[in-house]
Amino acid sequence: MEATVVCVDNSEWTRSGDYAPTRFQSQADAVNLLAGAKTEANAENTVGVLTMAGKNPKVLVTPTPDLGRILNSMQELRIEGECNFASSMLIAQLALKHRQNKNQRQRIVLFVGSPITVDKAKFVRIAKKLKKNNVAVDIVSFGSEEENAEKLEAFLEAVNSGDNSHLVTVPAGTVLSDSLFGSPVFQQEGGGGYGAAEGEEGGAQREGYEFGVDPNLDPELAMALRVSLEEERARQVASGGAPGGPDAATQGQDAAGAAAARDTAGAALPAGDPMEDDALLQEALAMSMQEEQAAAAAAPLSVLADAAAAETTTAAAPEAALPEDMDMDGMDEDLRAALQMSMQEVQPGEARQGAGGASEKPAGTSEDLNDPAYLSSVLGSLPGVDVNDPSVQAALNSSQQQRSNASDTDKANSDKEGKK
Amino acid sequence: MAAQTDLLDLIDWSSVECLNQQPSHPVSNALKQGYREDDGLFLESDTDDQLLIHVAFAQAVKLQGIVIKSVDTEGRAPRRIKLFTNRASLGFSEAADFTAVQEFELSEDDVKEGKLQQLKYVKFQAVNVLSIFIESSQGDEETTRVHKIAIFGNSGEKMNVSEIKKQGEES
Repeated sequence: MEATVVCVDNSEWTRSGDYAPTRFQSQADAVNLLAGAKTEANAENTVGVLTMAGKNPKVLVTPTPDLGRILNSMQELRIEGECNFASSMLIAQLALKHRQNKNQRQRIVLFVGSPITVDKAKFVRIAKKLKKNNVAVDIVSFGSEEENAEKLEAFLEAVNSGDNSHLVTVPAGTVLSDSLFGSPVFQQEGGGGYGAAEGEEGGAQREGYEFGVDPNLDPELAMALRVSLEEERARQVASGGAPGGPDAATQGQDAAGAAAARDTAGAALPAGDPMEDDALLQEALAMSMQEEQAAAAAAPLSVLADAAAAETTTAAAPEAALPEDMDMDGMDEDLRAALQMSMQEVQPGEARQGAGGASEKPAGTSEDLNDPAYLSSVLGSLPGVDVNDPSVQAALNSSQQQRSNASDTDKANSDKEGKK
Repeated sequence: MAAQTDLLDLIDWSSVECLNQQPSHPVSNALKQGYREDDGLFLESDTDDQLLIHVAFAQAVKLQGIVIKSVDTEGRAPRRIKLFTNRASLGFSEAADFTAVQEFELSEDDVKEGKLQQLKYVKFQAVNVLSIFIESSQGDEETTRVHKIAIFGNSGEKMNVSEIKKQGEES
């Protein structure tokens, strides 16, 4: 919990345009954001505004939790005269001392956009007085940085107690408020390591959200976006060998299954034996099927078959001339070759027909894959797969069931159609 | 006069404030039970040897005595003490200038053994905030160290809300 007085530099120096649009305007933006962040971080935080230039330093707003009053006061600022840093600091301290809620820590945020005329010794004496009264000071130096550097550093050193004060120098040509976002000025007490984290990092992340959506505002949307992104990545990995090809390959394809297939194929690569690739790919396919079915997913086998068919279609053209000693150094290349070869096996003759035969394939393939006898023979030919294994049996049975269920549903549907 | 007790339990900790303390040696080291009995833990001033401690109470209390103890042997024990009542926004400049409700000087032996200083009971009635201003240290050193502060008095009349009973419920 904190009471803050923001000391605004409204001297003639701030008319300078080296911080777009002007020093003064960029400062006003930064103050608005800072006040918003401070008041948002804790409902009991208060922010006041004090102008340092003009006839006298003037407290425009005593520390208040009302953001509207602060923004309003910033609107009415006039640029005039030169800053009186020494008395501004003392007035700010007085405003803080008489805060309503004594539990609040005291903080001054000092914007310096003009040369400091006070001599160093006096400035440091003020810093000591602030420190003695438990006032922390954040300094933002954004113009005349070089000539002020020495005094500000001395000031900071004198006022700093337990690392509660900070000096942020923002070079010309940058956007002041953006530079401040990531700085300790915006990371309130706690961000630095003491007290409770009252995080104002929210402001800092405002532009940095992964999908341009604030995950805190709409967690479901963010989750959906993330899931779809991951699926897309899995798809790209799975179909890596055929970029630009039809992406039917992954429609509904279980990402885990694809990953398994990739891993297995990848593991077999060094051997380079086409037959082994083939067998492993079969195994991978079987595994992916198992996984799908064991999970009792609604995805019917035909989807997988569709996917396989599409894969073949994609690869049909280069496949014909695929020699075994072809340069097989890329894993994706190998995977594709393995897939093609597996297709040759699964759909004897059909694969060679190329794209032209694509339309007929899905039916034929799903027939093949749904045939338990064929499946078990395929599985039996795989190394390390026991057809009598209960899980394999379960998978086979469930595929049977699914098929009959599907046909039942089809029948029911057609019945309905008929009644209509 | 009611028996005097340690008013530790009546201190409103969230409103206790100490100006010019070192963050690594906070006021709780001198005030809180357990901490203040430990001679290894102390409250130390930061920029100079002055300390200003505002002790707020949960209710108005009557004060009878105060113990300020420091086992420091290098002249960093507190010497000149000023006490103010109910001035929550007292600062160092006011504390130095204003007339205190009571002020006294501690001898080296007093602070070492933590001798109880009797307060003018009539002047410390209905105290909500006691401000302890330690103006200087024994040897005018750079910093002041305080190991224990204990405040004695009595709580006066207390109203316990749970004891309030509804009137005329039976009729």
